[in-house]
Amino acid sequence: MNFKHKYFFLFPGLFVLIGILIFPIIFVVRLSLSGWNSYNPGLDYIGLENYIRLFTDDPRFWESFFRLSFLSVTTVILQYVIGFALAHMVWKDIKFKRFFRVLFLVPMMTTPVIMTVIWRTFFHESLGPVNDMLSIFGVAPKWLTDPVIAKFTVIIVEVWQWTPFMFLLLLAGLLSLPKEPFLAAAIDGASPVRKFIYVTFPLMAPISIGAIIIRLIEASKIMDTVYVLTSGGPGTSTETSSFYIFIKGLREFQMGYAASMSFTYLIIMIISLTIIAKVLTKLLLKE
Amino acid sequence: MAKIDLSNISHSYNPNDPNPVYALNPFSMTWENGNRYAILGPSGCGKTTMLNIVSGLVRPSAGRILFDDKDVTDLKTEDRNIAQVFQFPVIYNTMTVYENLAFPLKCRDFSKSKTDERVNSVAETLNLKSFLNSPARKLTADQKQLISLGRGLVREDVAAVLMDEPLTVIDPDLKFRLRRNLKEINEQYKTTLVYVTHDQNEAMTFADNIIVMSEGEVVQTGSPKELFERPNTTFVGYFIGSPAMNLFESEISSNDSVKINNTLIKTHTNLSNLKTKNIKLGIRSEFIKIAQNQNENLIDVNVQKVEDLGNYKLITAKMGDFTIKSKVTRETEIPNQNVKLHIPAEKCCVYEDNKLI
Repeated sequence: MNFKHKYFFLFPGLFVLIGILIFPIIFVVRLSLSGWNSYNPGLDYIGLENYIRLFTDDPRFWESFFRLSFLSVTTVILQYVIGFALAHMVWKDIKFKRFFRVLFLVPMMTTPVIMTVIWRTFFHESLGPVNDMLSIFGVAPKWLTDPVIAKFTVIIVEVWQWTPFMFLLLLAGLLSLPKEPFLAAAIDGASPVRKFIYVTFPLMAPISIGAIIIRLIEASKIMDTVYVLTSGGPGTSTETSSFYIFIKGLREFQMGYAASMSFTYLIIMIISLTIIAKVLTKLLLKE
Repeated sequence: MAKIDLSNISHSYNPNDPNPVYALNPFSMTWENGNRYAILGPSGCGKTTMLNIVSGLVRPSAGRILFDDKDVTDLKTEDRNIAQVFQFPVIYNTMTVYENLAFPLKCRDFSKSKTDERVNSVAETLNLKSFLNSPARKLTADQKQLISLGRGLVREDVAAVLMDEPLTVIDPDLKFRLRRNLKEINEQYKTTLVYVTHDQNEAMTFADNIIVMSEGEVVQTGSPKELFERPNTTFVGYFIGSPAMNLFESEISSNDSVKINNTLIKTHTNLSNLKTKNIKLGIRSEFIKIAQNQNENLIDVNVQKVEDLGNYKLITAKMGDFTIKSKVTRETEIPNQNVKLHIPAEKCCVYEDNKLI
């Protein structure tokens, strides 16, 4: 089709795309090759110096990256398991089905930052209600100041906040499944467990892969929860990549260095998510 | 294997309404053990409702359903011991063909050797032997449909195999093969097969008993030959056969003859005590031939169109306002526009208020 005016109609979309995506990426690449910081603001050229520093002299970035991998994989697995269980529960005809369906979505509708503030109050070690109740059993875990427990506190809050999203996707998936395979399984005499293993789960595989990938991408961006809950602490024990990049770039104003970290992070994420998607497809769809 | 009794079954999807609409009007029927039945009718006539009542997916609003004289009306599908094949093949994607076929036995805790024996025997019948170890999802649609069927057949004690338009997704030549397969299976295992379809050819070639339905009513039950030659109602005449039965508005002229457009047609029906004037004469186009040397039941027609349909010729002719279709062999010469057609008296069906006399 020869349509002369097509560029004219494409322009608004292209303009937005260039403005918010293509230009920033190119600019970050250029910025990462400069020594822009608070003493020396400006786009000079220092070659690959930032990258050399990142790969040879900054274990903190790599630690934060592996911490992020641990946090996002753990939270997404937990969200998937809990979300699937809840979706499966309200998929069947149970009492107050509608009520539960709405109830399970409430966390997703709240503002993450505000909810995290509330969680922080809950987990406050001397004033919070959680430890107040646990004091009955004589324990008082250091929810926010123990390097190991703090990680799990972040996981709890993340799981609470984002399981509803997983729940929503999986419930939509369950509701769209054809009913014949379930009838056939019933006729074959399959028990509920067998029905789940051989019918529900395989049928849900494509939707599961989509949901897990979407949540993994979202979970790797984790920032507000950590910022509000622990500010990366104690020490750097809950610091994630995005939070570390934020510190370097917007607190210490090492713009050039932060740009090189951002770009490296982007490349690693693209590669690893592609691999994860491939592996999941192979595992769940057996193709 | 079981005899299935449907006694005074009826079903309405709004039974509590003051004026319930019946998807299935009350009827009674017995399906004998080991026979092949086809439920035939246009879309929305209630055939799937009927099948679902037998399989237990729908509980009838009234009436009982008995398997071998045991009341199963309130039993769930899983407890009725039936097998059902759906319109689209249902297989367990993660399993091999063998595991698929063995699944119903595994769920019932059969021994390994017994399972092996049954699966191999069924796979043999269905020509699936060479695929037993390949993943079921890699097979073609018709092979998958065979697996669905096979899962029904591995259980020896299954009461009936119900099929809801099972050959929809299958190529025409494979359809033919599968129907033959089904017949062989029926002969070998003596399974009661019930087959729902809207395709009359499928029903005719598959079943020895056809149940024709229309608007929630069982209009006729019979062998393909009976349905073809003596349709109970004008609907059956119209629905079965291609082209549909020729039907003419007619008047009674004597005890055994009617008048169409001032032409006298003799029949073998006793027409002496009819109550209404709504009389129709029905005759299959297969039985109408160009007159050779007969001297009665002849009609003068004006040929409008002759279509060569490969294995036969279809003549469309007019007699006054009536259109007549006649199926003749390809070799038949049609001399000119005006021909005489012969209507054999023994093949004439007379309908009073659309019901066969």
